[in-house]
Amino acid sequence: MNINLDEIFDYTSFNVDRDPHIILDENLCKVCDQRYCVNACPARCYAWSEEEQKMTFVHDGCLECGTCYVVCEKKAFTRWRYPRGGFGVSYRMT
Amino acid sequence: MKRTYDAIVVGAGPAGSSAALTMARSGLNVALLERGSFPGEKNMFGGVLHRMTALEEVFPDFWNQAPLERHVVQKNLSFITEGSCFNVSFDSEEADRPPYNGYTIFRPRFDHWLAGEAVKAGATLLTRSTVDDVIIENGKVAGVTLLRDEAQLRAPVVIAADGVLSFTAKKAGLRSAEFSPSNQGVCIKALIDMTKEVIDDRFGLVLNQGASKEIVGCTSGVRGGSFLYTNYDSLSLGMVLELASLNEKGKTPYDLLNAFMQQPQMAKLLKGGRLLEYSAHLVPKGGYDMKPELVGDGIMVAGDAAAFCIVTGLNLEGINLAAQSGVLAGKAAIEAHRQRDFSKSSLTVYRKMLEESFVLKDLKLYKRAPQMLHNDRIYSQYPELVCSMMDEIYRIDGKPKDTMTRMLLSKVKKTVGLKNLMADVYSGWRAL
Ligand SMILES: Cc1cc2nc3c(=O)[nH]c(=O)nc-3n(C[C@H](O)[C@H](O)[C@H](O)COP(=O)(O)OP(=O)(O)OC[C@H]3O[C@@H](n4cnc5c(N)ncnc54)[C@H](O)[C@@H]3O)c2cc1C
Ligand code: SF4
Ligand code: SF4
Repeated sequence: MNINLDEIFDYTSFNVDRDPHIILDENLCKVCDQRYCVNACPARCYAWSEEEQKMTFVHDGCLECGTCYVVCEKKAFTRWRYPRGGFGVSYRMT
Repeated sequence: MKRTYDAIVVGAGPAGSSAALTMARSGLNVALLERGSFPGEKNMFGGVLHRMTALEEVFPDFWNQAPLERHVVQKNLSFITEGSCFNVSFDSEEADRPPYNGYTIFRPRFDHWLAGEAVKAGATLLTRSTVDDVIIENGKVAGVTLLRDEAQLRAPVVIAADGVLSFTAKKAGLRSAEFSPSNQGVCIKALIDMTKEVIDDRFGLVLNQGASKEIVGCTSGVRGGSFLYTNYDSLSLGMVLELASLNEKGKTPYDLLNAFMQQPQMAKLLKGGRLLEYSAHLVPKGGYDMKPELVGDGIMVAGDAAAFCIVTGLNLEGINLAAQSGVLAGKAAIEAHRQRDFSKSSLTVYRKMLEESFVLKDLKLYKRAPQMLHNDRIYSQYPELVCSMMDEIYRIDGKPKDTMTRMLLSKVKKTVGLKNLMADVYSGWRAL
């Protein structure tokens, strides 16, 4: 058995909000020397491109676990809150 | 929207619903606010619901009422390496009779049920209601605002039961320090489909009996551990990983879980299973020293929001502490209404009750556990040591054997070192 995050939407349900609940100040990511978020996020929402020197964050598959909020030493979030009521991850069984 | 209640509870998890249930039963007009579209939608845990003494007071036959999967009769502790597994198992008749000592459950069902009981008792449940901020007037908490319709809900007392990150406690000024990655563990979990018959055969269970397994090792040296629990017709498999250690080692949680599932002894247990759901959540693992202020003017903090979680490696307790602290916060609010005094000093009775209950007593008792578990040898060297010891004991290869003591000593010298072993045994003994 294997967890393949490319298929996360097949396993776990989401009701994605167009208005993101997490907004990053990507300029801080540019000068961040740790980028712990990239490895630590269990849903792989953060991707750093070395070539473009750019951080891409996609909130669609966010499991709302709070890991990035805790590991980011720069507090690079202009917004970090839970999604509006009724939006976001929706566990059925777990 | 503007409304006024006798009390507001933020979060319909076990802490919040227990608080709302307690207050509603004594006639208070309570609002129970939950951001999910139903209570439990956002919640995951291992998990074993330990015996809920707080709820047995309200539901004497709790096990007949709550939606439970199996009751746990068999507890296992395993040390694993890449190719071997040493297992200690405890199976007890006692645990097979009510009041049961623990159950496997699904949070979307259990939390939904418990919140429903609060509603039956008269609480008003507002779902899809993410609390945005606390209203502070004259230095006192006077209510909360929601992330929709500019809603303002007012009450003389608010109970923050909004889980591990508790923005409510933070906004009320009860938690000033930032979270430390060494005090938080991220847990990822795979729910695995498997028929009841296969589970019963594989784990040696009958009827509604369940098994739990806590596992040390195979985390690539990251401080943390894994678990495997049997539900009625599925398995819960997951890993709790300390964030600071995960960062240090530069590993991803899902790669570690995938490697773990492919470990040969684990793979045998999971064979034929199919992934049903993937989830993640934080665990406040810092223990007693990590708690925020528990009481302020017009506000109390309960459950994970107050970091009431005990992680010892043998057990993970949280829901029982959440429910108990919720009940006590509810009782304190009832008393405050009787006295018509919602000041910090009046609500301090909540802290006193916590100190007299198992909540703060146990948290204090296991105060040293986080420190003890902050020891890399547990995750990298001991599983190896235990398994290679067993391997040597059982191996028949035509060579003469050493005495057990000599074997152990030579292995210890080669791996952890005798001094370290003694220090670790002492610290483990003190912590537990
Ligand atoms: C992987 C894992 C395994 C665990 N295993 C066990 C175990 O085996 N046994 C055990 O006893 N404990 C276990 N725990 C711990 C246990 O899950 C927690 O201690 C328990 O859930 C705490 O309950 P709570 O009510 O305080 O918080 P939660 O269960 O987190 O509930 C908080 C509620 O508040 C809501 N909320 C949050 N913010 C807002 C907001 N702004 N507005 C409105 N609503 C909000 C959430 O949606 C949620 O419903 C485990 C935890 C994890 C992560
Ligand atoms: S850790 Fe924080 S600042 Fe660094 S890359 Fe990640 S989000 Fe950006
Ligand atoms: S909250 Fe968790 S899942 Fe969501 S982006 Fe942050 S780390 Fe990833």
